[in-house]
Amino acid sequence: MLKYSISILLLLGCLVSFSQTDNSKQQDTLIKNKYGLRVGIDIFKPVNTFINDDSKGFELIGDYRVSKKFYVAAELGFQENTTEEDYINFTTNGSFIKAGADYNAYANWLDMENAIYVGFRYGFSTFSQTLNSYTVNNDPFLDDVAMAVNGQKFDDLNAHWAEFVLGIKAEILNNLFLGFSISGKKMITTKEPDNFKNLYVPGFNRVFLNNSGFGFNYTLSYLIPFYKRDK
Amino acid sequence: MKKLFLLLLLLFVGFVSCERDDICIDDITPHLIIRFYDVTDTTLVKSVDQLSVKILEIDANYISNSTADSIALPLISSAEFTRFVLMNESNSDTITVNYTPEAVFVGRSCGFKSIFNGLDLHVTGDGENWIQSFNIISQQIENETSAHVKIFH
Repeated sequence: MLKYSISILLLLGCLVSFSQTDNSKQQDTLIKNKYGLRVGIDIFKPVNTFINDDSKGFELIGDYRVSKKFYVAAELGFQENTTEEDYINFTTNGSFIKAGADYNAYANWLDMENAIYVGFRYGFSTFSQTLNSYTVNNDPFLDDVAMAVNGQKFDDLNAHWAEFVLGIKAEILNNLFLGFSISGKKMITTKEPDNFKNLYVPGFNRVFLNNSGFGFNYTLSYLIPFYKRDK
Repeated sequence: MKKLFLLLLLLFVGFVSCERDDICIDDITPHLIIRFYDVTDTTLVKSVDQLSVKILEIDANYISNSTADSIALPLISSAEFTRFVLMNESNSDTITVNYTPEAVFVGRSCGFKSIFNGLDLHVTGDGENWIQSFNIISQQIENETSAHVKIFH
């Protein structure tokens, strides 16, 4: 079947182009873009919450179409994450919000609403860090007397960052979208704990040495159509 | 649609298989640096022959039979003192190093190091010490760039 699908597609393409040359004006008026609010969730985070004891998270996503190509977009969520390193173990707990815009670079066929998009976000998070335990990094000769020490909790921390997003969204059923996106992040400012560092920030994920970060989202979202427009 | 799912799966596998990328390269807990000087001419560096150093707290030799004019000894950061037995060819002296440790955060891969404040030294007298006297140069051990203690013999 798959073998023929390309031929069928080509045939369809011919048909479409024929019909467009026939009476293109009428065709144009028939194809309308759906405008509305698209809301959804990140589907990876709940799964990860279930399978990974060190991570609990939830994220709501949404976007609103403002023109043929542009969408205003936002994400909102919370994340609890325990990071285990060689000498430290700490838990980050907090919530985050990201707001920005997406530009759909994909030219859709007819009335399809798929998207390959680039976007920008401004992210903000408030959180706490709990240093569960640490072992002072000593001469290895003293490893036998090294003791794990309980650390403290640091409250009222926050972070601001910028994000560049690259993603795809496919309409799998009418008005239902499955999406995947990756993001590169750069920290702008953080309120750091005393004698510790924000090595993980909710919404930003792991903070790498040069204050950059990466993220990915699997999303399932539903478009609530408000109106249709030609362009 | 099938191809799209495959692409998503590939991207996902690519992301979860990311491994940690940093190793500890910063300075960790500094050692106590002792330099040996001549007791008759206190400006003259004088090495100790066949020096062995045992850490009493863990009952293990840290240095064995080496000739050195300076040594770097590890201090136990979970205690407020560490005792060392310094043996030369024929004689062994016990020194007690007292300090107040302070944990300082270094980074993700190194974790915390310890620095030591209020450094003090005590040589247990046994009537025939080879260590004649000592001089604490720095009461704070923050790095290993220079000696913290001079020992005259």
